Amino acid sequence: MSSVNPPARFSAEFDANSQEFSLAGVVRPRSADEIATSISTLKEAIEEVRGVLYINVKRLIQMNNTAFHAFVRVVLDACRARSDLRFVIITSSVVGWTTRMFAHLNKLDPQITVEVYDSKFYPGQNFVENTSFIPILRTQTKMTWRHERAILPRHGMRPGIVMADICCGIGDFAVLVQKDFQPARIVALDHSRASLAYARDVAAGFGISGIEYTYGDASEMLLEGNQFDLVTCRHSLQIFNRPDVLLGELYRICKPGGRVYVTNEKNSHCLGEPRSQSIQWTYNEVAKLFSHFEMDVELGPKSRRYLADAGFEDIIVESFMVTNLDGDPRDFADVIMAWEDVYAGEMAVKRGDSAEFIQRFRQGFQDHIFAALHPKGYAGWPIWVASGRKPL
Amino acid sequence: MHVAEREPEADFEPLLQLEMEMGTFLSDWHHCDQLSTFVARMISLNRTDPVRHSNFFSSALNELLEVLFRGGFPDGQIGCAVYRQGPTERVKLTFPCPPRQRHFLNEAVAKARRGDALARYLDSISTDLAPTRDAVLLDLTINFDALIHLEDSAPSSITLVVDLPLEGIVT
Repeated sequence: MSSVNPPARFSAEFDANSQEFSLAGVVRPRSADEIATSISTLKEAIEEVRGVLYINVKRLIQMNNTAFHAFVRVVLDACRARSDLRFVIITSSVVGWTTRMFAHLNKLDPQITVEVYDSKFYPGQNFVENTSFIPILRTQTKMTWRHERAILPRHGMRPGIVMADICCGIGDFAVLVQKDFQPARIVALDHSRASLAYARDVAAGFGISGIEYTYGDASEMLLEGNQFDLVTCRHSLQIFNRPDVLLGELYRICKPGGRVYVTNEKNSHCLGEPRSQSIQWTYNEVAKLFSHFEMDVELGPKSRRYLADAGFEDIIVESFMVTNLDGDPRDFADVIMAWEDVYAGEMAVKRGDSAEFIQRFRQGFQDHIFAALHPKGYAGWPIWVASGRKPL
Repeated sequence: MHVAEREPEADFEPLLQLEMEMGTFLSDWHHCDQLSTFVARMISLNRTDPVRHSNFFSSALNELLEVLFRGGFPDGQIGCAVYRQGPTERVKLTFPCPPRQRHFLNEAVAKARRGDALARYLDSISTDLAPTRDAVLLDLTINFDALIHLEDSAPSSITLVVDLPLEGIVT
């Protein structure tokens, strides 16, 4: 056992603009003196704010009782000294013990309330965690796997590696990887409990072991740094409003010398013949619609820049086109139909689009389906694959 | 709060056991963090959500190890064994314990098992400047649904037994 002190894994910061004091990381001091600076930051924050102080502990991975008592002491003293001040403590549903531990504070002083941060990690989350999407996600993965199976070895996939699949959804990609590449270990993380339950059922039903499904926030994971040979994250940078933050987390958990592999779309490049103009118009509108909800489904070709900005080297970018000729054209049509249901039936409605717009919007999807099923037709869905190596 | 009586020993399957010289353990505070993180990761691997189970378990085990660290004597050995039965992990910590400390520990465990545990825990948070051994055991009872008891080991040592039904809490 090493006696070397671990690197600093804890931060305490105050943002005056949002009146928010944030604790993050692992804090297990032997005495309160070791966190005196952080305690002072909290005291200064209390001095400075008016009305309410938000105490954000949703990124707090571990805190021992010594630290808990020290921080709580400051808050309780402030409640006694300042009746004008409220405290709102924000915990995370991912780190369960924080919710239990901090919830008691409301019983000690009504000036303190505790909120569990859960439902919205990013603006488009409610759409993509919709369970009605599960069957179509399976079909999508089946279609993309035909291509990715051949592509993945060029991006670091090989037997025996330790890998993570972040934003794993219903876990079918992890299952296919396990069957075809036999990594030593797969950790698969997602923030949809319904999708994870489905993933565990599928793995159990197929007798597949070795995949650790875990509930988590991809932009601030409980996973320790520098541990995976390959980190995959498919179709997800494009639906986060802060892809750079997510990519930073992927970088953190990747081993030096390991690779991070991402796939993303450029929706406006979906195509089909016949009826190409209607199809083109609708997918241009898809890109605008997602942009309205702070998602960039045009991100695919930008992957190289994102990876470079995040500090990766040896960046490889390639693309492939899923088409109606890859397998059963009906699969392709089913995917487009599901897109139409969600994009036109839910998202456009939520944006407040007119009936006329939605009708034209739907027509493009219908024409894409027509092209896919036409005996002489061609329909395509392009995807960009990119990976980068974390420097040694 | 978990109020069920503890399960018989025979129903628990051994998962992991390690021993360490007490003097070595006490030589560095970070051993509590390192041991709890390592053990939690090992025993959580085949839980439904290994990452979150490990996080929860590490939190509980670290508190127990910190209690031992603060009250520890440098002679003898510390033993840490983890068993499993269904959704529950049983942690058995065996450590040197002179009679006087044994008495205090017995009292702390008895207090953690009493019906007024929550009230005592809240009182501890609001009044104690630093967490006492009693407060830590109350924390485990209240926040981790732990069931705690003591077993006599060799004449000069004692075993703290803590049942943690974390699988149900995590999932």
